[in-house]
Amino acid sequence: MSTSEDEQERELEALLELSRRGRAKLERLHEVLTTPGHYGTGATPSQVVYRENKLRLLRLLDEHGQPRAGRPAVLFVPAPVSRYFIVDLLPGRSFAGHVAAAGFDVFVIDFGTPTNEDRYADLPYYVDGLVRRSVRMVSTITGQPAINVVGYCLGGTLSLLYAALYPDTVARLVLLTTMVDGDVQGGIAWVAHRMGLEGESYDNPRLVPAAEVKSWFEMLAPGSNSLVGRVSDLWERLDDPAARLRDVRTMSTWVDDVVPAPGRLLAELYRQFGPGRNGLMKGTSSIGNRVVELAAVRMPVLSVSAEKDAIAPPEGVDAIVQVVPHAEVLRLPGGHVGIVAGRTAAALWQRTVEFLATSRG
Amino acid sequence: MTIDAKAAKDPSLVERWIEDQREWQKTAMAYLDSMVKNDDFLVHLGNAMRGSLLAGKPYPTAPASPPAQEAPPDDRLDRVLFALHEMQGQLTDLRLTLDELRNGGKGSRVARAKKPTSAKATVRKAKPRPRARAGKAGKSGKARRRG
Repeated sequence: MSTSEDEQERELEALLELSRRGRAKLERLHEVLTTPGHYGTGATPSQVVYRENKLRLLRLLDEHGQPRAGRPAVLFVPAPVSRYFIVDLLPGRSFAGHVAAAGFDVFVIDFGTPTNEDRYADLPYYVDGLVRRSVRMVSTITGQPAINVVGYCLGGTLSLLYAALYPDTVARLVLLTTMVDGDVQGGIAWVAHRMGLEGESYDNPRLVPAAEVKSWFEMLAPGSNSLVGRVSDLWERLDDPAARLRDVRTMSTWVDDVVPAPGRLLAELYRQFGPGRNGLMKGTSSIGNRVVELAAVRMPVLSVSAEKDAIAPPEGVDAIVQVVPHAEVLRLPGGHVGIVAGRTAAALWQRTVEFLATSRG
Repeated sequence: MTIDAKAAKDPSLVERWIEDQREWQKTAMAYLDSMVKNDDFLVHLGNAMRGSLLAGKPYPTAPASPPAQEAPPDDRLDRVLFALHEMQGQLTDLRLTLDELRNGGKGSRVARAKKPTSAKATVRKAKPRPRARAGKAGKSGKARRRG
């Protein structure tokens, strides 16, 4: 065989290998797309104990399908602009499930997906309405006058505001990646500011489309707002084992399933907490006609920030000690989502359980 | 093993190409089969072609025309619907309070959740803010106060 023929054969072998690898990726993709999994449903068995508008209040059940009655109650408050199941992602990777297994009666708020009429929902509707009634419902069901509250991201903001208004109903408060200092640059508030959030009308609000909300988050994750970048990332990932890809799919289903946002809520959040307003730090925030005084937050508080959080910069989260001096501040390695549901989230789960457990008895 | 025997056992490059083409046909048929049998598969495949493994719904995309910044001209129905949602919550509050009253002091601390628990210490009246526009029909009193 001549040298030229050798080269041709080598090139054909390389093409054959390329073809085989491409086909293997597509076969793996097919397997992942056709295999059922925990996509958007939460991982832990639960029962709906309360419904209001789109909200569902879920109570996690034990391995026998029974609620953990008699245990200290914990209410998870996720962000209303994303799906609730980030706190209950997968078996073995469920924050709420971990807390429940540690001996707590866990409830999770699912704010649901707003529809057109919900564009009128404002901060009082969420804090004084949905969150307060959820706490009331948990208290009524469990017979515990004060319960533990764990808020994530914007859900943490709602929880903090609620705890300031109704401190005697909150035994312990855990805030996860919850921005307190709106003047700290970076993060979703600043991106939304640059993208025109200040243009949202309070009086004539619109339902801000999910794609638009998502575009704000994408601005914070270079590559995710580019079709070519996303497809390229996925193509590379298809070398992973199918089981790992199913986990990735669960997370993708959370990341990409942003819900529409009530324009009135966004307008109010911007006016009260946005860059330059900074109502939590300045003590000027209000719910309805009541000023919120963070000095009233007297229960033990754990505030957790993430070192690489592009959505809620850690400096803006840790600033809570300036307005709630007794708050314990914990900064963990990882990003906004990773510390809650990533592979290293166990550190957060364990610290949260320890923090909540010290309030027992 | 002699070179001739090895050559006889190992498929030639051409044979491997033919086999690879057969495998591609199988892969294509598996995709076609799923497209026909599984309604969700097309949605999921479309998402994958956008670089997302999102399950259960199409990848969110901006509408073809930019959304109108203003609310629809006649938004009365939405205002009424939302007011009904607010009333639903208020009725729940009422029911919970009645339950607590029926149970005597047992649920009294829960009942306090309806009002700030230490109003003097925690809450002061906010200064009334000027309203940009009068509220419309169907808005609850609480919402109408917002400025």
